[in-house]
Amino acid sequence: MTKKKSGAGVQLGTVLALVVMCAFLAIADKNFYSYSNIMSIFKQTAFNAFLAVGMLLCLITAGIDLSVGANAIFCACLMGALKNAGLTNGILLMIIAVLAGGLMGLINGTLLTRLHLPHPFVSTLGMKNVLWGLALVVTGNQMINNFPDSVTFLGYRTVGGSTPNNGFPVSFIVVFVLYIIMHVFLTRTALGRSIYCAGGNIEATRLSGINTANVLTFCYTLSGITAALGGIVSVGRSGICNGSMANYAYDTDAIAACIIGGASFTGGKGTMAGTMVGCLIIAVLRNGFTLLSIDSSVQNIVLGLVIILAVFMDVVRAGLEAKNRRMAAAAKQEAEEKEKVAK
Amino acid sequence: MKKFLALILTLAMALSLAACGGGDKPADSAPADNGGDQQQSQPADSGSSGGGDESYNISVILKTTASEYWSYVVAGAEAYGKDHPNVTVKVKGATSETAYDEQLNMIETDMNNADIDGYVIAPLQADMVTTIIAGQTKPIVAVDTDIDAPEVLSFVGTGNEAAAKLGGEAAAKLAKERGWEEIKCIEICGVQGDSTNEARKAGYKAGIEAAGGTFLEDETQYANAEANQAVACMEAIMQNHPEGIAVICANNDDMAMAAARTAAGNAAYENTVFLGFDGIQSACNSILAGEETMSVCQEGYNMGYESVASVVRALQGETLDEFVDAGASIVDPDTAQARLEQLQGYLA
Repeated sequence: MTKKKSGAGVQLGTVLALVVMCAFLAIADKNFYSYSNIMSIFKQTAFNAFLAVGMLLCLITAGIDLSVGANAIFCACLMGALKNAGLTNGILLMIIAVLAGGLMGLINGTLLTRLHLPHPFVSTLGMKNVLWGLALVVTGNQMINNFPDSVTFLGYRTVGGSTPNNGFPVSFIVVFVLYIIMHVFLTRTALGRSIYCAGGNIEATRLSGINTANVLTFCYTLSGITAALGGIVSVGRSGICNGSMANYAYDTDAIAACIIGGASFTGGKGTMAGTMVGCLIIAVLRNGFTLLSIDSSVQNIVLGLVIILAVFMDVVRAGLEAKNRRMAAAAKQEAEEKEKVAK
Repeated sequence: MKKFLALILTLAMALSLAACGGGDKPADSAPADNGGDQQQSQPADSGSSGGGDESYNISVILKTTASEYWSYVVAGAEAYGKDHPNVTVKVKGATSETAYDEQLNMIETDMNNADIDGYVIAPLQADMVTTIIAGQTKPIVAVDTDIDAPEVLSFVGTGNEAAAKLGGEAAAKLAKERGWEEIKCIEICGVQGDSTNEARKAGYKAGIEAAGGTFLEDETQYANAEANQAVACMEAIMQNHPEGIAVICANNDDMAMAAARTAAGNAAYENTVFLGFDGIQSACNSILAGEETMSVCQEGYNMGYESVASVVRALQGETLDEFVDAGASIVDPDTAQARLEQLQGYLA
């Protein structure tokens, strides 16, 4: 039973946190609820939302993918390098980026499942550095701009505005559709359920006949693909790519979004709807910090506290769930004993 | 007040999460750059700027506020607000100089804020910012790093490349005075690919070569702007060049100080010139202690003050100069004490 979850599987407390934050910011700064600011929040959510999709899958399997941010920037830099080399077909550039991102994810998955590296924390951390270096190598340490419109479309264009970029962001529409597809995939397909099973108890899942190695490899490959989509959005938003950006801790925001949204480091938990709310909370927090002109040191403290808080709540939830299970088992046993005595 | 608001925000979120955080039954496995020379302690006030009755809200978005150098830019910008009560200056910056996306979000948010009358921006990636400010009709002034966009009315700064060139020339000259016949220079760089890093590298190279020296580009060391890594780089340089190198230049003072400390005691590097960048207080102390030799400095305080003044002048209808040359200077043992006192005064 999920008494305090909405139909999409998101913790009501998390939704309430978002609502309270929005209400507070609306009181603290009247510009928070302006149409243009809300659109800014959606634009700022999109990149992290793409990374969080792959991160969620990995977290559900009790793993982690610390290379999502670097993979996104590497894919963006690869597009930049190919563009500079004369490839100007935007569609082809994006396909190559997605394939490259998927390949990197596949390598992460293979390292974990076929080469038996102990924990994805190690392999994906290593891959993060590899991708950071590769991003610098392919761009020759230079920033690259002037991407074709077909590449920047996803991250830059909006619909319903008076100008190409002041309406509802295309990137967020794509994120929304992707999240619905992923929700259906995780809840309605055998592979989706296998991912949860693998995260809940990988040995039991394997013994039940599911090829857990393939399931895990699939998750990391998909994580690479969604990271590549994030990279394409990044190029559209900023108009540039730069290998040095791969060093930034984008993965931290993605992890935080998933954990705030109900995922757990112990695996087996997490939903697309919860992750979306987590992404929105982070974007609203950052947006609010800017509106209130809160300096970076305080921003770091608050964001750090939010992440710690989210993990703490996860631990509390897990403890309460275990307690509930014990109480339910005890009650059942007591009822059975009473029944025996009665007989 | 801001910290209080931030804490309230965190508390609100904590209470919300806590309110419904527990009690769920198990879901099982089901998914349920400036300032003229350093003796210039106060920026020239801008005539009538800010002197009118109209009030202005100016947003200052810097590369970061989390470094000593940028704290002088913050102090300068805020000082303008204190000197002109009708001007409200709000300063913000990314958490680090590689947090490109974070700064982009800040600029995007403020561009949509109807309460803001004008902007001062120090872009982490100028081309990245161009996309976001496209179509903005309120005055924008670039500080420290220029933005090539029609929306930007003026650039207040020196440019990292020009300042680094000045440093490279001064270091080569001093190395000659210290008896080096062959002026070879190796750089300990910051973050590879970072635009500031590349600009400073290009400037050092140009300066050393203009002074008749040789910039050993192939031997450039990358230390990610961290002192710890600079130590390892300096040790590698000493291994490769036991004969000594005339000039070791670094992309910031932290790395230059670390390199100088690492080479201390090595007779071949006794007369080496260790050149840093930023001219911060710790660098002045290091120069006075005979460790780091010299540092390139841009007048952050004056840049901050003058950039806000420029936006206010634009709001009052004045036409701005496209470029306000903030200049750069070199801090050496002769000028380090005066520079130190000046910097302490800014933050007092």
